[in-house]
Amino acid sequence: MEVMTNMDAFQVFAEDNMWRQIWPELSLVLGAVLVLLVDLFGPKQQKKSSLSGSLAVLIQAFLLVYHLLDYLLLNHTFERSSFSGMLCHGFQGDIARTFFLLASLCVSIMGNRYLFLNRSRVGEFHHLTMVATAGLMLLCQSNNFIVLFVALETVALAFYPLVAYNTNSEKSLEAGLKYLIFGALSSALLLLGIVFLYGVGSNPEAWGASATYDNSRDYLSFEYVGDLLFNNPDNLFLRGGVVLILSGLAFKIGAAPFQIWVADVYHGSPTPITAFLAVSSKAAGFFLLLTLVNGPFFGVSDFLLPLIGVVATFTILFGNLAACTQQNIKRMLGLSGVAHAGYLLVAVMASMHFAGDSDRAVWVVYFYLFIYLFASILIFAVMSLAHFENTDEDQQFEHYQGLLKKHPWIALSLLVGIASLAGIPPFGGFIAKLMLFNVAFEAKLHWSMVSMVLGVVISIYYYFGWIREICFQPKPKFDDEEKDQDLWLRLDQIGLIKFTIICFAVVSFVLGIWQGPFGDAF
Amino acid sequence: MSLQQIILLGSIFIPAFSAIVILLFFLNNERRAKEIAYVAFIFPFAAGIILFLNFDPLNDGYSHEILFERMGLHELGITFHLGLNGVSAPLFAMAGVVGMSAGIAAIHSNADRKSLYLALLSFMQSGLMGIFASVDIFFYYLFHEFALIPTFLMIGIWGGRDRRSIALEITIYLTLGALISLGGLVALNVMVDSAKFDFPSLSNAILSDGLGSSTQNKIFGLLLFGFGILVALFPFHTWAARGYECAPTSVSMLHAGVLKKFGLYGLIQIALPLLPEGGQSWGAYILWLALGNVLFVGAVTIAQNNLKSMIGNGSVMHMGYCFLGLGVCSSLGASGAIMLMCAHGLSVSLMFLLSHYIHLRSGSLEMNEMGGLGGQTPILACFFAAATFATIGLPGFGNFWGEFAIFLSLGAQEGHFVFLVLAALGIIISAIFGLRAMARIFYGTKTDEMIAYQKNKKISDLRSKEILPAAVILLPLLLLGLWPKMVSDGIDTNVSSQLSILNEEGVGDYALPPCCPPQVELKKKAPPLMDSIKPENGGND
Amino acid sequence: MENVTPSHYIVLSLCLFSIGFLGVLLRRNLLLMLMSLELMLNGINLALVTFSRSSLNLDGSIFVFFIMTVAAAEVAVGLAILVALFKKRRSVFSEDMNVITN
Repeated sequence: MEVMTNMDAFQVFAEDNMWRQIWPELSLVLGAVLVLLVDLFGPKQQKKSSLSGSLAVLIQAFLLVYHLLDYLLLNHTFERSSFSGMLCHGFQGDIARTFFLLASLCVSIMGNRYLFLNRSRVGEFHHLTMVATAGLMLLCQSNNFIVLFVALETVALAFYPLVAYNTNSEKSLEAGLKYLIFGALSSALLLLGIVFLYGVGSNPEAWGASATYDNSRDYLSFEYVGDLLFNNPDNLFLRGGVVLILSGLAFKIGAAPFQIWVADVYHGSPTPITAFLAVSSKAAGFFLLLTLVNGPFFGVSDFLLPLIGVVATFTILFGNLAACTQQNIKRMLGLSGVAHAGYLLVAVMASMHFAGDSDRAVWVVYFYLFIYLFASILIFAVMSLAHFENTDEDQQFEHYQGLLKKHPWIALSLLVGIASLAGIPPFGGFIAKLMLFNVAFEAKLHWSMVSMVLGVVISIYYYFGWIREICFQPKPKFDDEEKDQDLWLRLDQIGLIKFTIICFAVVSFVLGIWQGPFGDAF
Repeated sequence: MSLQQIILLGSIFIPAFSAIVILLFFLNNERRAKEIAYVAFIFPFAAGIILFLNFDPLNDGYSHEILFERMGLHELGITFHLGLNGVSAPLFAMAGVVGMSAGIAAIHSNADRKSLYLALLSFMQSGLMGIFASVDIFFYYLFHEFALIPTFLMIGIWGGRDRRSIALEITIYLTLGALISLGGLVALNVMVDSAKFDFPSLSNAILSDGLGSSTQNKIFGLLLFGFGILVALFPFHTWAARGYECAPTSVSMLHAGVLKKFGLYGLIQIALPLLPEGGQSWGAYILWLALGNVLFVGAVTIAQNNLKSMIGNGSVMHMGYCFLGLGVCSSLGASGAIMLMCAHGLSVSLMFLLSHYIHLRSGSLEMNEMGGLGGQTPILACFFAAATFATIGLPGFGNFWGEFAIFLSLGAQEGHFVFLVLAALGIIISAIFGLRAMARIFYGTKTDEMIAYQKNKKISDLRSKEILPAAVILLPLLLLGLWPKMVSDGIDTNVSSQLSILNEEGVGDYALPPCCPPQVELKKKAPPLMDSIKPENGGND
Repeated sequence: MENVTPSHYIVLSLCLFSIGFLGVLLRRNLLLMLMSLELMLNGINLALVTFSRSSLNLDGSIFVFFIMTVAAAEVAVGLAILVALFKKRRSVFSEDMNVITN
């Protein structure tokens, strides 16, 4: 009989640390450090693009392309957990990585223009963005509640200074503080939920639960918690823990009743960061939610389904109704994002409903998130073209008046983005909503479908209200009303942003008519 | 691909393509934009006529079919399938005719930023041709929504008074209808397990599996209300008159003439044949609501003073007749509804066109400020008289045959006699408002306002470039009225075969009115698609 | 006097957590809000250590280290933002943070 010495145990342990599996995250972090060093020690430039900014964009673009090639050419069809069950690599992880890299690349491109117009420091912005992205990528591959928490907090901590990046603007700082307080509150709630699960899991008999298999399991791993919940769906502590964890997540998604922060924080933060929040933060929440409800929380899904249903309906209705009253565009986009989160929650519910065969609903979530990425980045990129004199935050509807006449190309791309978000054929957003309707109907979620229909109709009001401002002739102003400042100057240095805008506009349009490989995998 | 298939594909893509070309290159070059727009509108017109003439009316399936399988969303059964059948061929031709007329009117109008206007109109035309050419139900829906944004933009930029808010209002209302009908279509797709999402596959699947009666009721209800909002069924009709009054002429022509028929076409081609029990249970409600259209909206039309508003309300009223034909759930009624749709599309767009010409010559659209125009513009008066008689439903124009068939179908079933009587009142109503409008505008003495408006202007009769669009619509209308057989053969074959697939009783007798020329082989019902399979009732619910 | 069981510790930690929670919601001074956040996290730490001890499992205690690190980083960032805000607004009260409106 062999006795394992300490070194042998360490070796077995170390073999499970497959660092090669997380090479994108590692290289991203190294790139982040590199960007910071270059900014610190590199040549000082006053020209339109700084070295570290361009370096950041290049690193991320290279990573994205390499990751895509790596993923598409080598057929990764396995699901493997590494680091002793801390991380789980598989299909969802790769999709998430692609998503976050793409979003972060676009945010860096927009960020360069913002930093140039605002004359802010460049290095920290890109460093924080890249670190946040690395955290997001790890978050979506987590297989253990400790890793989940640490990755979530990394992301959150990277976001707080990003939201407050414009230290000359009170709005930015105030938004940062609000985001921090709400974010910390929700992560404390999440943590309490994890603690409840750990408490019951580590000593089940003491808390009225029945023990699961052997005791040498990792009490905070998803598998163990999944078994625990499967065997004890009625335990009050466990249910409380699950609800608390989901509340913490609901904050990130912006689901009711944790959506109070959305309007203010989106309003105050710089436009590229608003885009980052709207796209990546929300997507991370949804990837995580999908993993959780189809993984560890599967045992309590009978209890969770009506709960999520109520939350989804309330979110959809609140998001759409509140967005109708907004004058500021970023606030409106934030609240419409809340509504989209509501629609996605319906898809998550559908995935819970199809017990073993949730692939279709999960795929709908992925597709919807990608379409939302394309449309939102398109809209925010156009918004970042606007040049304010002092601060960036207050883009109102009036600033867009008559854009179709002044700059038809910008207006048309913006139109494509808005129409895709609104779900108008023939753009991609319609296909996403169609697939969502289909899946929801198959899961017999009829009331949710009714609220979705109502939500989409209400959303036409504010989306087409914006289109109205862009395209129709402005209302004649009285002589003594001051003229709004014309934002659409300084349109000379926008090469890369223009490319992004046109790319995403074309993609949104094409995906509305031909879904090709995306539809086949559905 | 045969020449006809290429023409079919081209009739959808050439207007869209020319719109993109105008947007890309010629936004500032109005002359070139006009030339491209000519192509964009004449091609679908020619395509419609050619394909309609080449259509074999005894074929109860689809001809000139094009099928692209791999469009994605394979799981939902969506393919890109184009084709024309007996019902869609005349509607397709009508769309081409109205489109060309609206396009030429737009080219010669004096709108500013005309290139953008023509581009948007071409997009709309492309969508219209696609609606009637598609066999796949998803693309049918997509092409309809394709026209939503151009309509919104055109009403908002080039419309009349209150255009900013009316454009938004109409878009919200129509989106509500579109989404409810989308719910119905999604329900149909999910509940019926067929390989492709088009009518033949769906009917095969329902034949073999059957669809429970309460499911049919719910799906039919969703489709009825969704499509009903889109067609201005009472009480969801308020958007129509306001919208048409405010919209520019070409948009009103295309929308009222063609786009509104989308919902009825869907109900007759998809809902009624596939969901016969649903149709039977909703039938009574449809009849009552349609009567609301005819009588209530008819009364509103009589009270209108604004010419465009009168025409808009009048078109809502005539949609009531079509719904009556639908509600009877017989092949005669459905055929009559289709016939009326073809003819009404032509007549109402002609009315809108002429109202535009009248507006140019008299300075306002309020009828109590007009009078005596007939002396100055006899040709315009002739056209207007023709359009009015068509709207009233006098013989000689296609509307008569449609309305007649609908009344026959109402009379053929007992218990519907009261509907017949009340609906016949509708003819009197249209006579009242039509003839009164004619009298007020063209006869009598000139009012002061008109004299003031015409003081320094030279008021001429219709010029040749104005006569062309009007004649392009009037000729088919007359043709339809004098020789309905060219359209009704195809309609009958198709409708009677479709309605009899799932409904064994072969609802409604097809009885010929004795004065029509004898039509060959009409009593032959096309063989059902699968002889050996009988429809089962009580399948999944 | 009865023995102190783990349940007492859990109750204490829940009390700390709720005091912190209510503190964040009800306090007007932003510094005190940040302190209440810390209090919540400390309550959670206590609960984790208790659970870890009572089931003789080290996972909880290791988790506590992570939480402490995160809490420290959070408060550093929070104070930095608060200081920057103070320089602008000359006040640490939440009702003076009212610049963002519709």
